[in-house]
Amino acid sequence: MVNLQVTMDDKTLKNILERQQYKEGFVTDVEQEYVPKGLNEDIIRLISAKKEEPQWLLDFRLDAFRKWQKMTEPSWGHLKLPKIDYQDIIYYAAPKKDSERPKEIDPALMETFNKLGIPLREREVLAGVKAKESQVAVDAVFDSVSVTTTFRKTLAEKGIIFCSFSEAVKEHPDLVRKYLASVVPSGDNFFAALNSAVFSDGSFCYIPKGVKCPMELSSYFRINASGTGQFERTLIVADEGSQLSYMEGCTAPMRDENQLHAAVVEIVVEQDADVKYSTVQNWYPGDENGRGGILNLVTKRGICKGSGSHLSWTQVETGSAITWKYPSTILKGDNSSSEFYSVAVTNNYQQADTGTKMIHIGRNTRSRIVSKGISAGHSENSYRGLVKVNPGAAGAKNFSQCDSLLIGSNCGAHTFPVIQSSCPTAIVEHEATTSKISENQLFYCNQRGIGPEDAVGLIVNGYAKEVLSRLPMEFAVEAQKLLQVSLEGSVG
Amino acid sequence: MSEVLLEIKGLHAEVEGKEILKGVDLAIRRGEVHAVMGPNGAGKSTLSAVLTGRPDYTVTAGSVTFAGRDLLTMSPEERSWAGLFLSFQYPIEIPGVSITNFMKAAINARRKAAGQEEMKPAEFLKLMKEKMAFVQMKGEFAKREVNVGFSGGEKKRNEIFQMAMLDPTLAILDETDSGLDVDALKIVAQGVNDLRSPEKAAIIVTHYQKLLEYVVPDVVHVLKEGRIVRTGGRELVDIIEKEGFEKIDG
Amino acid sequence: MAKVYLIGKDAVPGRISLGKGELLDMVLVALPGVSADIGLEVDLDGENAELNLYGLYLCPNEERLNINVKVAHNVGRCTSRQLFKGIVGGRSRTGFYGLIYVAKDAQQTKAYQENHNLQLSEEAKVETRPQLEIYADDVECSHGATVGKLDEQEQFYMRSRGIPEDKARELQMISFISSVAAQVEDETLREKIYDSLSEC
Repeated sequence: MVNLQVTMDDKTLKNILERQQYKEGFVTDVEQEYVPKGLNEDIIRLISAKKEEPQWLLDFRLDAFRKWQKMTEPSWGHLKLPKIDYQDIIYYAAPKKDSERPKEIDPALMETFNKLGIPLREREVLAGVKAKESQVAVDAVFDSVSVTTTFRKTLAEKGIIFCSFSEAVKEHPDLVRKYLASVVPSGDNFFAALNSAVFSDGSFCYIPKGVKCPMELSSYFRINASGTGQFERTLIVADEGSQLSYMEGCTAPMRDENQLHAAVVEIVVEQDADVKYSTVQNWYPGDENGRGGILNLVTKRGICKGSGSHLSWTQVETGSAITWKYPSTILKGDNSSSEFYSVAVTNNYQQADTGTKMIHIGRNTRSRIVSKGISAGHSENSYRGLVKVNPGAAGAKNFSQCDSLLIGSNCGAHTFPVIQSSCPTAIVEHEATTSKISENQLFYCNQRGIGPEDAVGLIVNGYAKEVLSRLPMEFAVEAQKLLQVSLEGSVG
Repeated sequence: MSEVLLEIKGLHAEVEGKEILKGVDLAIRRGEVHAVMGPNGAGKSTLSAVLTGRPDYTVTAGSVTFAGRDLLTMSPEERSWAGLFLSFQYPIEIPGVSITNFMKAAINARRKAAGQEEMKPAEFLKLMKEKMAFVQMKGEFAKREVNVGFSGGEKKRNEIFQMAMLDPTLAILDETDSGLDVDALKIVAQGVNDLRSPEKAAIIVTHYQKLLEYVVPDVVHVLKEGRIVRTGGRELVDIIEKEGFEKIDG
Repeated sequence: MAKVYLIGKDAVPGRISLGKGELLDMVLVALPGVSADIGLEVDLDGENAELNLYGLYLCPNEERLNINVKVAHNVGRCTSRQLFKGIVGGRSRTGFYGLIYVAKDAQQTKAYQENHNLQLSEEAKVETRPQLEIYADDVECSHGATVGKLDEQEQFYMRSRGIPEDKARELQMISFISSVAAQVEDETLREKIYDSLSEC
């Protein structure tokens, strides 16, 4: 029998009791090893050494760190970012391995991910019985390390590489070296530079030419230790004519402190390849008074490198105290296309500044942006986007629709799009609306016996349907529930 | 005589600071169908709104008892759970929400309030099918978004469908007959007639007599300027038909 | 009657405040050859104030034109409508920056803004930044922005009816700007605007 030790201090327990809605807010009691608090070249060398990295990667980190030291935090977001003391953060925390059984997963971690609904055991597929039952391969990251990656063998049979970033560095150094920072350069922005200097783990995925990935791949990020930040790095390469659907999820314990999460995701889509990247972001959002919560400051970018390539972003953002995130696509290949579908919900004192950039470089490139923002409580929710059409992008087309819904009179909803066109044959269209949740709709639901909170959930889910319907099945149900839970307490 | 299901006493109500209902008295017994008729602006829709608890309407005096309970202290959803149903004059569109999901939410909310388990999917689907056939809606109807892109007649049929699904004790039909063709009118009428039983009751709010040809009311009230000025049998309908509302008063 | 300001000729006010129930109709026009940086803020400071703001810019050559408009709904129950249209060709550069700001408690605000641009050449650069910054919930606000080209099917239709390409283009441009040009009541000026389309 596995004896799970999940302990909570009184305060956390009280929080959970009072605030049932964030059910992922528990802490797992495992023995962890840490690097000392603070950030300097020695810390970076230490992280690199712990991970037994080659010299080129250490050089990459140090180069990024030197760039970062000369940079300042971006202030253009419609956000009140708390002062972050970068010397007061632990940049590496990992659960200790059982020295006698280093290959085995700690049962407490197993149970943690189980509790979060993330299966770390490959479900056995009985011969003949539901042979094609939907399967999801998971790379599970706990604080600074990947705990396990499932279905590696099954995927390897098709030539697909799916593993933790650290393993990829060891086993596929040429691929990593070729593509790392090819989409997000190490000095791209303040948080990307920080990530490039200190990133600890994340997922790596390579789909070879012409291969259709037989199952959904996913990364699940869990922050557990206090006083730490999480800096994961994901790199996805879809070679010519390949297909992939990738999902990302995340949660963290409830704490009064803010914890920093600064990730980088890079996606390379070669000719005629098709990648769909879906995120359900459910980091701890802080309490109803705005105490605590994750600072989610991430850089996600893909390049549609080859002609006819396609990259689709879908995100459901319900968590984090602060979200600063703009999954973007560089449409370089002719006839390449990209979409950004987003639902961002903010409640209480959450702040979100999120959107996308679509950079049209190739001819006949297409992009589509659908953003649904929902603000409640005292929150601030902004859409920020850039659609840029370069001179050579003949026949490029973009359409953007950004809608905001306000629940209550103490929140804010903002829309900040930028369109830059240098091409006379391009067509760029942007529309945005802002309105409040309809009292008529609420009353209609109430009259049918649906109470105020359920009614808000139902209406908001309907409002966001165009985006939710893009999510893979495995995610859609969860996302719908999450929207409802996130808005609890927003009416009445 | 059967038991009184709904009793309204001296009801005064206002909207946006303007008094619309100025002392309404009404008692409906189980098994009865009442018609509330009156010219535009008489307060008919306000009466439906107040009975179902619309937030922007304020009751300033009077009482309403429904099945022995003080209706005015109950929230709109509690009134629904207690068996009150309003067929809206202007049904509301809810984009992105399918009729199936909407009804599932409504039925399960009620069951939860009654301490019952959620309805089993198979049972729910069977009920949907049965009631859809009843209002002559085809299979794809269940997948359509609530009232979005519906014609006027479809919206009203959707209201009757929901009424059949929720099986209320007291149904209030607010101008359900306006803008309906004869076929749709017959479906609506059949919906109400099917609901007739010794335990239940209905209020038909209208300013036409059209629906009342198919659903014969037991009692007819005339509402004018916020008061019920006359109460009688079905013969009142013919008088109104011939002479209009002007000549009728207390 | 809408007050018309010819950019480069008339002094455009930097800041205007509208009091209770006040109505302002205003048209900004930039004819070919005009480069300018326009900053305008309209504050809706009294309830039931109403603003109708129109703009037109024709920049076929080397123009550098920036229009920066802020419409601030500081109190509730006001309505603002904005419509800006631009034709941008040659090597000109235009920027439209339009902010709709709705203060907390400025309930029952209605605010609309549109900016449409026709881009006629490779070397021209068009930037548009419509912005909504909203702190009240009982509002109806929208903005729309487009950058596009003349519709080819429309053009083909006209040419198939015997209208030469140049004339067809001009007709399309007339149709594109007409909703703004129609606000100019001075017939001489309106003619001048339509005539200048031949330079585009």
